[in-house]
Amino acid sequence: MSCKNEAPGDNAGILSEDHDSPFKAVFDRIQTGIIIIDPVTHKIADANPIAEKILGFSKSELINRICHGHVCPAKEGTCPVTDLGTSIVNEERVFLNKTGEKVAILKTVATVMLNKKEYLVESFVDVSDRKIADDRKVALIGFMNESVLRIRRPLELTKMNMQLIADHVKTGEFEPEEIRMELQIQANNITQMIKNLDDLVRMVAEERGGEIPKELRDFLLGK
Amino acid sequence: MTDINEENLLYLMLAPPENIHALNIAVVKKILERGCTPLIITVNQPYKVLTKIYAKEGFDSTNFYVIDTVTQYSGGVCEENPRVRYINNPANLTDLGIAISEALKQMPEKKKCIMFDSVSMLLIHIPSVTASKFFHFVVNKLKLSEVSGIFLCVEKGLDPVILSQMTSFVDKIVDFKPEVPGN
Repeated sequence: MSCKNEAPGDNAGILSEDHDSPFKAVFDRIQTGIIIIDPVTHKIADANPIAEKILGFSKSELINRICHGHVCPAKEGTCPVTDLGTSIVNEERVFLNKTGEKVAILKTVATVMLNKKEYLVESFVDVSDRKIADDRKVALIGFMNESVLRIRRPLELTKMNMQLIADHVKTGEFEPEEIRMELQIQANNITQMIKNLDDLVRMVAEERGGEIPKELRDFLLGK
Repeated sequence: MTDINEENLLYLMLAPPENIHALNIAVVKKILERGCTPLIITVNQPYKVLTKIYAKEGFDSTNFYVIDTVTQYSGGVCEENPRVRYINNPANLTDLGIAISEALKQMPEKKKCIMFDSVSMLLIHIPSVTASKFFHFVVNKLKLSEVSGIFLCVEKGLDPVILSQMTSFVDKIVDFKPEVPGN
């Protein structure tokens, strides 16, 4: 990993000298990750405590680290801001943390002048939990959709079939065994639909286990 | 109803639940009118009942073949008939696939057409994803054998993803509108 430290003291961060600056106090206490990047060298010039927490690196590990390929998955020469000229405002992106895991973030990049030099300020919040919740919601919608397809529509067909069987009885043209077979098919189908519904409830209860109170989860799982 | 006149095409025909039965009759009638021999795969009505319903419509049982997946499922007796093949359960896709292949080989007629009644009822027994894979297999078999195929389905009865997959398998999707007497 490229982590080229400059002379001692250089990894203290560009804002670290301004101990009394109100901006420094905000920088250290705000609940948003902020890293300041030199747009020419792509080295990180400073990082606040929330950025350290989200990325899993200490400030001294982050400072002077080249951003691309490390905290940002973009390769050298393909920086979305400085090379591709795109603006990033509240966009869902991915950071790589210290262990190489992808962290879903909502990120904004702005340009600022600090000590008469231009820097990029990347501010971001960790949205991994929301992303996981969204994925679970999509999966749940998938389960629900499948239940409609495998239960509701077949139920409508079963209703029509029962009507048809009633008509068959009325005509007197069908033998009792034929009527029995038709009714048995519908009964077996309803049994299968109940099983499909039970499977669905079990899948949802297992998928959303932590969010459902234990007693209700046990009830849904038939414990 | 849309004409099923073009050779060796695959159709997905959609109808509201209350019209599925009428769609079945209308499709068989159309297939027979074309001089084509239907192979009916039923996951809904046993052969004995189906032949009586068809007889009332004037369809002679010597003019069609059936793969019956529900007689054994209902505990009924499977009467031997060279034109009928029985599968023990609609979910038994392995045996159903084999039965389709064998029935197509057995049918001496030149013009053949499979009618599957219905995709929606099969979904009671197997998940959409499995059903989609099975229909892909059947469609490939029909294309290789140069046989037409018609799949009946309740409208809005397919997962959008599965519907888009089915759309890519079949040649046409047709919304069934029953003919109103007098019009």
